[in-house]
Amino acid sequence: MGNSSGSISSLLRNFRLRSSDPSIFIALLFAISLALSSFWIDPYLAYVGTSWIIFGLLGLSLDLVWGRGGLLSLGQTSFYGIGGYVGSIAAINFAPLTGNSLIWALPFGAISGAILATLVGWFIFYGRMGSLQSTILTYTFTLIVWTITLSFTTEIGEAVVGGDNGMSNIPGFVLGFDQNASSLSPNMMFLTVIVISAIIYLIVAFIVRSPFGMVIDSIRLDAVKAELLGLDIRLFQTLMFMLAGAIAGIAGGLFGAWANYLNPSIFSVQEALLVPIYVLVGGLGTLIGPFVGALTVGGLSFWLGGGVIGGQTTLVMGACLIVLVIFLRKGIVGGIQTVFARIFDGSEVRDQRSQQTSQVRVNLDLLEKLQASAKIQRDATLKTVDTSKRFGGVLAVDSVSQVFEPGKVRCIIGPNGAGKSSYLKTCTGAYAPDSGMVLYSGQDITKINPFERVKLGLGIKMQTAQVFDELSVKQNLWIAGYGNGLNKERADQVSDEMLDVLNMREISTRLASTLSHGEQQWLDIGMVLCLAPSVILLDEPAAGMSKEEKRQLSELVRLMAKTATVVVVDHDMDFVRTLDAEVTVLHQGAVFAQAEIDELRKDERILDIYLGRRESVTNF
Amino acid sequence: MELDFLATLLLSSLSSAAILLIATVGLAVMFGLMGVINLAHGEFIMFGAYATLFATQIGVPYPLAIVFATIVTAIFGGIVELLIIRRLYGRIFDTLLATWGLSLVLYQSAVLIFGTVTPGIGLPISNVQIGDYSISVYLLFLILVAAVLIGSLYWLLTKTSYGITARAAIQDRETASAVGVESARINTMTFALGSGLAGFAGAILLPAIPATPNMGFAFVIKAFLAVVAAGPVTLTGTVAVGSTLGMVGNITASFWTSVVGDIVFFLLTITILRIFPLGISGRWRLKL
Amino acid sequence: MLQISNANGGYKRVTIIRDCSLRVSKGEIVALLGRNGAGKSTLMKYTMGLVDTFGGSVSIDGNTLPQSTSKRVKMGLGYVPQGRYVFPRLSVPENIAVAALACGHNRHESIDDAFEDFPILAEKKEALAGTLSGGQQQILSIARALATKPQVLLLDEPTEGVQPSIIEEIGEKLKRLNEERGLSILIAEQNLDFCLSIAKRAYILNNGSISHETTRDELIENKTILHELLGV
Repeated sequence: MGNSSGSISSLLRNFRLRSSDPSIFIALLFAISLALSSFWIDPYLAYVGTSWIIFGLLGLSLDLVWGRGGLLSLGQTSFYGIGGYVGSIAAINFAPLTGNSLIWALPFGAISGAILATLVGWFIFYGRMGSLQSTILTYTFTLIVWTITLSFTTEIGEAVVGGDNGMSNIPGFVLGFDQNASSLSPNMMFLTVIVISAIIYLIVAFIVRSPFGMVIDSIRLDAVKAELLGLDIRLFQTLMFMLAGAIAGIAGGLFGAWANYLNPSIFSVQEALLVPIYVLVGGLGTLIGPFVGALTVGGLSFWLGGGVIGGQTTLVMGACLIVLVIFLRKGIVGGIQTVFARIFDGSEVRDQRSQQTSQVRVNLDLLEKLQASAKIQRDATLKTVDTSKRFGGVLAVDSVSQVFEPGKVRCIIGPNGAGKSSYLKTCTGAYAPDSGMVLYSGQDITKINPFERVKLGLGIKMQTAQVFDELSVKQNLWIAGYGNGLNKERADQVSDEMLDVLNMREISTRLASTLSHGEQQWLDIGMVLCLAPSVILLDEPAAGMSKEEKRQLSELVRLMAKTATVVVVDHDMDFVRTLDAEVTVLHQGAVFAQAEIDELRKDERILDIYLGRRESVTNF
Repeated sequence: MELDFLATLLLSSLSSAAILLIATVGLAVMFGLMGVINLAHGEFIMFGAYATLFATQIGVPYPLAIVFATIVTAIFGGIVELLIIRRLYGRIFDTLLATWGLSLVLYQSAVLIFGTVTPGIGLPISNVQIGDYSISVYLLFLILVAAVLIGSLYWLLTKTSYGITARAAIQDRETASAVGVESARINTMTFALGSGLAGFAGAILLPAIPATPNMGFAFVIKAFLAVVAAGPVTLTGTVAVGSTLGMVGNITASFWTSVVGDIVFFLLTITILRIFPLGISGRWRLKL
Repeated sequence: MLQISNANGGYKRVTIIRDCSLRVSKGEIVALLGRNGAGKSTLMKYTMGLVDTFGGSVSIDGNTLPQSTSKRVKMGLGYVPQGRYVFPRLSVPENIAVAALACGHNRHESIDDAFEDFPILAEKKEALAGTLSGGQQQILSIARALATKPQVLLLDEPTEGVQPSIIEEIGEKLKRLNEERGLSILIAEQNLDFCLSIAKRAYILNNGSISHETTRDELIENKTILHELLGV
């Protein structure tokens, strides 16, 4: 039995990884059956149910930001509320002219929600704020918008915004385009909202699978690595936030049309609290989850309690949220997916971190060919001038001046704690040096962001293998190819070639988290090569590799050095010896010696540093 | 502008900064010593206020009622830590959401039990005259309270065994455990301390801010922003940011409305965070 | 005294050390040698209960230790982590006080003892630990571990990034503690001469397993094997 069920499960697994799951179909089935139900359900239920779908749409905007983008935003209701107000004001003024109300309410809602979200997002992401700070900021933003609207009164055309009294006379759902067109029946309204939500869901699902979505995923999984692939993560995150703001704004516009009346309670904490509940009940990051969650919560309070706005809803919801975060981690949709995965995949998949040490065999000839045709700046140099970095009382880098040029591998060695990694991090932009300069081909890059350095031509591999755990091997390489230039065709081509270079075609669909340490190291190196960098910085690339792998790596590094500037930081003397490199020895943050490796090997002092022999070290 | 007006403005600004500090330190202590943002902080303040009200209504004198409210809120906080916060160890956003849920539970419970209006505490309010203007003695007294409160917290966290251990635990949990610190116990105490401070705030501010279910709302926007802008040296940072922004907010509010004050406060905070992404104290070398 | 039996441990699902067994007798100084990435730090952390345990046990005087790190400390394990993790925003005496208080000792006496043992710390008693130099932080870290009044002291790369004069001072101090108070010591190190100067016996860790048990005399005589093992 093992054979056939094994092949079926691997088939299903590949399907899941490639088209990223059948959940779109399930979601559509779900939408269609809901849509069909609109023809027979009780009008009152349809009326109430419409609001649940709208809440689901609001939940979708949070799921995008939180489940995909990784930022818990407590501000989605402010975009929702503003979208509702602005959309409704537009509808009040213009709908009488056209009949159809939604063509006013929805675009105006979307645009106002998007603008507001972009403003907030710009502050958060371009300010590089911490995640907790960002969340608190969105929360206080919600509170402030709420307090403002409580007392804010104005008249815009026919629309009267009455502070606490709210705004009434908002046109309902009118689809017909003549001035006498009437509002839809509750059942048709239900259907309309389902169709609109399904369209938005599809658009989001499409975006999530597009290059943009891949980038957003990679930023959530490892923002530092994403930036080292040349991606301006601030821009992508702000765009993602803008999109979510637009969705919330549309939901607000729909809500205004549904309720025919808006007041500041739409901005209230009680309202805001519901949004993460929908997402958590349904399943974080699933996109369809928020709808499932909103329908579940709405349905439960409808059939068990006294409707959505029942007296004690706040109390129950507050308690629900506490219970949810403690006990229910994956939500309904996530739970179903886990069950399915267990049935089809077999539970061993994730534990499969290959115990067998599958040897990586690199295709250097192919790499050389690719390298020859790659657009690389052949004479790029990296230079540091008196670079220093201090941590508290420790001078980690002590005015190091170096010039790195192509042609020959350059190594930086030194015992643990000598400041090698810290020095490298001032070159990559992870640390801002306290004094001194970093120059790329003569251009001062001391103060620019890491991704801008990568765009100039820097390729950086950090000490630990940095791969995107939840993406496949191929997707990892693809993101790396995409980061440099945002060109989809190039990414397709480069990642495909790199699969051959790394000989990873057979495991291209495996999740990076299931690879062995050595394989992850190679994948990371492959990602750096995908950037076609002119200056390559490698921090302990040989760590955790077998003898044979080290030999191949050494060949690869020497090959790269023919066309690019390559700097290797390591303390594995065996490995360094094979690189035929010019070696700089760091000791206590400063340059201790610099020479060919063979010369250095004769130098007793170097051995002393490594072995900690006393005489010459103290004399230094 | 007249001198007496300026003096009054200065004193009222100082007192509103003092009120903000009193209402914020509990939050700052929890964030600074266990890394938790308690979104129910405003409701803990409300809890303290109602506890005080309850005590005075059964005949306890007001000063003793303050002590009672502080202790009761602290015990309540300790229970919350044991039942909820502890289960969410290391999951800061889940902790945040759970405290958010708790805030609504507390709010709605208060609405159910006490309704939305409650009688004031009925403390005689006397004023001092400064030129043409007058200012409440009680508000001036709060400036003193804030100073004493900050001073005793500083003492508690630098001189007592709890304080030193708690600071070590938040700076490096693993190393703290490797010298024998049991951070779970410390965290319960910290959460209780933060809650107790919130309860104290509700109690001591009761004559100025009557107990209502949403009374915490008056503080939380500024309190959260102050703590977030404060950065890693949370307590000193909060005192610095809170008192500065509290005074600025009061000055703007005295010319416009309190909503404008909140908005100005918000804008100032995001500006601070734009300049110092780690918060204002990112590079300070201080103990707290 | 300290006995580690069949230690298997690592992070999440990744096993880093396999079937490591070693022993430190009462009043003995033992070195744990090995090249970078051999698993020295992981074995030290395993002993403290700071990494995931997949098998094996740690015992002192025959009593198996519980998993909790803080309980292990209270039962007599002192630990000086690699990278001198002092509490940066605590003052020098406060760093020592934390350890003393956590283990139920009088903090003022402990601080006085530490200042007596390490006069260099007394000179810095107003300073925040984060502002000390690397060597001073290392000394503080050792003093802090001693404030827990351990029976066995574990030191993880105490010479890393420390200036030679201070390395020497640390070596002397450890030797004296060992001789005067009978403190047992286990040192994970790359710095060979430092180890040879104080330890009489050594284990060599290779790829997560203990490959050799050897003595100082053997190591001094046979340096070629050693260089091979340590990869220098």
